[in-house]
Amino acid sequence: MAGLYIHIPFCKRKCRYCDFISFPDYKNEDLYFVALVSEMRKYAPLMKDRHFDTVFIGGGTPTSLKPGRIAALLSEAKNCFDIAENAEITVEANPESATEEKLKELYDAGADRLSIGLQSANDIELHAIGRIHTRDDFLRAVSAARKVGFTNINADVMHGLPGQTKESYLETLRLVTDLELPHISSYALILEEGTPLFDDVNAGKVMLPDPDDTADMEDAGFAFLESAGYSRYEISNFAKEGFSCRHNLNYWDNGEYLGIGLNSHSALRLKGDWTRFRNTDMLNEYIAELGEGRLPVRDTRKIERDEEMFETIMLGLRKTEGIIRADFAARFGCDPVEHYAPAVAELEADGMAETTETILRLTRRGLDFQNEALIKFMEQ
Amino acid sequence: MAFPKELIRNFCIIAHIDHGKSTLADRLMQLTQTVAERDMEEQLLDSMDIERERGITIKSTAVRMFYTAKDGKEYMLNLIDTPGHVDFTYEVSRALAACEGAVLVVDATQGIEAQTLANVYLALDNDLDIIPVINKIDLVSADPENAIHEIEDIIGLPAQDAPRVSAKTGLNVEEVLERIVSDIPAPEGDAEAPLKALIFDSLYDNYMGALSYVRVMDGTVRPGDRIRFMHSGNEFDVTEVGIFDPHRKPVKELTAGEVGYISASIKSVAETKVGDTITLASAPAKEPLHGYKQANPMVFCGIYPADGADYEALKEALDKLILNDASISYEPETSQALGYGFRCGFLGLLHMEIAEERLEREFDLDLVTTAPSVIYRVIMLDGSVRMIDNPSNLPSPMEIQRMEEPMVEANIMTPPEYVGSIMELCQEKRGFFIDMTYLEENRVKLTYRMPLNEIIFDFFDGLKSRSRGYASFDYELGEYEESDLVKLDFLLNGDMCDALSTIVHRDKAYAKGRAVAEKLQEVIPRQQFEIPIQAAIGGKIIARETVRAVRKDVLAKCYGGDITRKKKLLEKQKEGKKRMRQVGTVSVPSEAFMSVLRIN
Repeated sequence: MAGLYIHIPFCKRKCRYCDFISFPDYKNEDLYFVALVSEMRKYAPLMKDRHFDTVFIGGGTPTSLKPGRIAALLSEAKNCFDIAENAEITVEANPESATEEKLKELYDAGADRLSIGLQSANDIELHAIGRIHTRDDFLRAVSAARKVGFTNINADVMHGLPGQTKESYLETLRLVTDLELPHISSYALILEEGTPLFDDVNAGKVMLPDPDDTADMEDAGFAFLESAGYSRYEISNFAKEGFSCRHNLNYWDNGEYLGIGLNSHSALRLKGDWTRFRNTDMLNEYIAELGEGRLPVRDTRKIERDEEMFETIMLGLRKTEGIIRADFAARFGCDPVEHYAPAVAELEADGMAETTETILRLTRRGLDFQNEALIKFMEQ
Repeated sequence: MAFPKELIRNFCIIAHIDHGKSTLADRLMQLTQTVAERDMEEQLLDSMDIERERGITIKSTAVRMFYTAKDGKEYMLNLIDTPGHVDFTYEVSRALAACEGAVLVVDATQGIEAQTLANVYLALDNDLDIIPVINKIDLVSADPENAIHEIEDIIGLPAQDAPRVSAKTGLNVEEVLERIVSDIPAPEGDAEAPLKALIFDSLYDNYMGALSYVRVMDGTVRPGDRIRFMHSGNEFDVTEVGIFDPHRKPVKELTAGEVGYISASIKSVAETKVGDTITLASAPAKEPLHGYKQANPMVFCGIYPADGADYEALKEALDKLILNDASISYEPETSQALGYGFRCGFLGLLHMEIAEERLEREFDLDLVTTAPSVIYRVIMLDGSVRMIDNPSNLPSPMEIQRMEEPMVEANIMTPPEYVGSIMELCQEKRGFFIDMTYLEENRVKLTYRMPLNEIIFDFFDGLKSRSRGYASFDYELGEYEESDLVKLDFLLNGDMCDALSTIVHRDKAYAKGRAVAEKLQEVIPRQQFEIPIQAAIGGKIIARETVRAVRKDVLAKCYGGDITRKKKLLEKQKEGKKRMRQVGTVSVPSEAFMSVLRIN
């Protein structure tokens, strides 16, 4: 089973912390749409043996496209690829552009999961990070989504925002849990170089919470979510029973996926070789090359077995259930606990990892220090 | 036939950094057509990269030039270029001993500087005739009258008729050549007497081995001769003798009065010690030339590879470095914190910095250096004496009767307005005031007796900042004196970090302990647990700081399918970790060991 990702690189406004490829300029929207379609058609014959179990349309802001575009993309995807009947089909939305009309279009086109970029339910915090929606926009979006039929709804929230406190973060979470959305992703803000927020923080114009305060927020927030009946199934992801995101789980299982669109990444087993590549991140190149009938692929790399194993560890240990030893053994012909025995032993001794007959996973503490845990695997 | 001795002039150029020594040398070579225009590279004499960048001369070199003077005769001029820093005073004195005269270059915009003065006195001690030259007269701010006035007042040298030149534009440089011919005496010495050749420098050549740069005082040396180094007693067969024009050029013989090099398949410059006398084994001179001193390292530090795996590479690099600089000493040492490395000795702090820079640059190494130390004399209870150059080796205070540290006599030259703040600095550095004299209206000489240990840290930086760069200083090594010294240790999470230990005066231990602990608190990254940093004397904790525990170290974001980014971040973190040293349970970045060197 493979995942299909489609990237929409347009936003009404670029958020101050965002370093994804997206443009606040829609003049190329039509050309881009044509290119996406051509790209899917080019891949169609190459993917005819693959079964797609999930589709994820992300961005940018997919809901900010002209009416009918997402529906057209989904229908094109279904024409080109073997997408399972019960596939999970997620579309990302921002509260301000998630109108009932737009959401109805998505739902009717087959999308069954909506991921809403809430980030915070505090309007001051939202303003500070350059979001253009408000708490009320979010409430309207959720009720519209439910009205048109969506039940599987995620809210993305963030902690460690400028001006945020533990209390305001908990309020945001409480809003989501009160609405009984079945899925919440809560990411710690990462200050990325080259973003306006990065520059402001360095210039002393904006203060971020102290890392210890952010850690306090996270601990309190995560405890709250668990008490509210959500289980943490990945470092930053929480879901009610049965609502884990299958598309993302496929990433963490180091499964195959095909990325369509600007700067999309793909991982596929090609002629037996585990292979990664990406598309160009230049919009003009992307449009031009597809216009000439070429795939705008860059950085194709064959991943050696050792590295594929490490990837599987790196991704798999993000999940709280960890790595299923039998799955790993089926893929690589060796047991991960045996193969990485010194690293595992050290981590177990430090209380960072635990193993059972069937799984290898990080403990709560291990998840907090996942980077250090992974370096142990790398160094081995 | 040998060149007539009466037409030979051996001279050197004395100048303060930036006063134009190398530029003048370049110009002299150009005028005498020693180098073709097209080969003219700026500052030809300073061949090492570091020398050029820092604008200082580290090694001595020599150039032979031919000049047809206004009297119609052709003269052989041997220019011996000398290092220009207090660390290399001995080398300078030997280079001067190889000359009969010196050209003193004074910047017309700056006047005479302390360091220049020290070298002028060295030259006078060696009975050199000195020709003052006023340089940079092309600059608007030039004040040649003031420079002349300074030379006459401070050195007592008549300077009214000093050539006023611009080495940069070439103006009046010819006059300097004429003065060299007319004012500097021809070398004396007897070509038929037993050979006495003074080694004023040595250099390692990959093909020829160690070369001795010599001034022949008496006698003649030719290829095939068996020579003896009079101080070391070693004997070698001469394979080649030659001169510098300015590149090495073999000649048939070197004879009394001449300057050149001797090659004798010698493996290391350690065997061609500066100041030693070369004679013939078959007909040795009765006595060596006087003035030979063993150049002893005064400043020691531990040098370790930043990546422990580079130990062998560091060893090879040191082996090679020593080939060219016998004044560096090194021996293997181990540190609990830093692993395998070397304890290295240097003539001074600049010498140490240059050596480190060369190791990093020429051998592409990443190094960790521990705080520099001097050699302490430790008198044990049983009366025995131990010389300690590494704080880690200091015996327990229980066994020590007393300790002594090396003192220096420091001469500081400064405009009077900075005297107050410089005296404060000297006081802070445990200096004993000896003397203050007005050299002239706007120049004061302060003399202090100070512990060398205080000078090797940041004395020079302090002097510069408190005098806006106007003060300069030099020092001479003095006697050992008893001192109330203690070993200051640092504990990280309860484990002592040997590489951070230093020996300090008891009065300064508290301040230093606090300052270093604060600095460590800044540079040690937060780890999974809280790290107490303690400064201790003996068992007594005198300062404490804490590095708070880090709470999370995980990439929250999932970056969609772009896992290369995640991998890159981990790689980077792993590399950073590799540069950390494990002290007990604590990871300490390499920079921490160096950052404690500069505490203000």
